[in-house]
Amino acid sequence: MTLEQFRQLAETWGGDIDRWPAASQDAARDMAAGERAGRILDEQLRLDRLFSLAPKVDEGRAGRAGFAVLQRMADVDRKPRWFRSVLRPSSLLPASSLVCSALVGLWLAGALPYRHGPADALSVVSMVFDSSIIFAGGLQ
Amino acid sequence: MAAVSARQHHAFRILMGRHMQRAIRVAQRIVRDPGEADDIGQEAFLRVWSHAASFDPDIARFTTWLYRIVLNLAFDRKPRRPLVPIDEAAGVRSDDPEPVERVIADEQRRILEQALAGLSERQRGAIALFHMEGLSGVDAAQAMNLSVKAFESLLGRARAALKENVQKIQDTGRCA
Repeated sequence: MTLEQFRQLAETWGGDIDRWPAASQDAARDMAAGERAGRILDEQLRLDRLFSLAPKVDEGRAGRAGFAVLQRMADVDRKPRWFRSVLRPSSLLPASSLVCSALVGLWLAGALPYRHGPADALSVVSMVFDSSIIFAGGLQ
Repeated sequence: MAAVSARQHHAFRILMGRHMQRAIRVAQRIVRDPGEADDIGQEAFLRVWSHAASFDPDIARFTTWLYRIVLNLAFDRKPRRPLVPIDEAAGVRSDDPEPVERVIADEQRRILEQALAGLSERQRGAIALFHMEGLSGVDAAQAMNLSVKAFESLLGRARAALKENVQKIQDTGRCA
C-alpha cells in the first residue's frame, strides 16, 4: 500500500482503520505507524468527530411521535372500510330491490310465450282498425 | 419483531420506544427540518406496522430495514414548507454540563449544519448512516440499497464536500 492509497482510504472511510474494508486493514495498520500516515489519520479522526454530531432528539419528542402513530392506527381501525358501509342493511335495500326486479323480469321473459304477430295485409288493417277504435271511443 | 408481525400492539409500542429517536434523527439529518423529520418518523413506523409480515430477519437486521424505510421516505418526499434558516436549525440545546464545552459543541453543530446544507440528500444520508449512526460500510450500503463500491464512492464524495464546506465556513463564516 502506498501513502497515496492510504490517504484515499482515510479520506473515504475516516480515521478509524477498524472501519475500513477488511482487505486493506492489515496493510493500513503497518503504514499507520509512520509519521505521515499518522498525521493523515489524526486529521480524519478530527473530521469524524465533527461528522458524527447528531441532531438532538429527546425522548419526549420521540414519545409524542410514537403517540401520534398509535392515534393514526386507531383512526384507521375506527374508520369503516368501504365494503363494510356498502354491506349495511340500509344500503342493501335499493340494491336488493333492483336485483329482485331484474329476476322477476327474467322469470316473466322465460315463462310467458313470445310470438310474432302475422305480418300479412289483413293483420295490418285489423291493427289500424283496432287502434282507431281505441282512440275514438276509448277502451271499452 | 415476530410479535409485531403477529399484530401485537404492545410489542409495537416497545419497538417504537426503542427506535423512534433513531428514525427521527436520521430523517432530520437528511431533510434538515424537525417537523418533517417527525412526520417521516411517524410514517416509517406506520409502514413497519403495515408491512411487518414482509420483514425477513434472514435478509436484514430490523434497524437496517428501518433505515431503508426512513431513507426512502426522506428521499421521496416533497418539501411542504421552506426550511427554517440554518442558524435557527443549528440552535440545538446540548445536555453537556460544562458551559464552555456546550458552547463549543453548539458551535460545531452550527458549522456542521451549515456545511451539510451544501450536500445532496443522498450524501447527507451516507454521512448520517456511517458517521452519526456508526453503521459499517456493508450495512450502510444495504440500507441505502447500493453496492458497497457505490456506497464507498458516495461516502468519499460526501466527506470531501463536507470537509471543503467546513473549511469555507471556518475561513469566511459562510458556506458559498
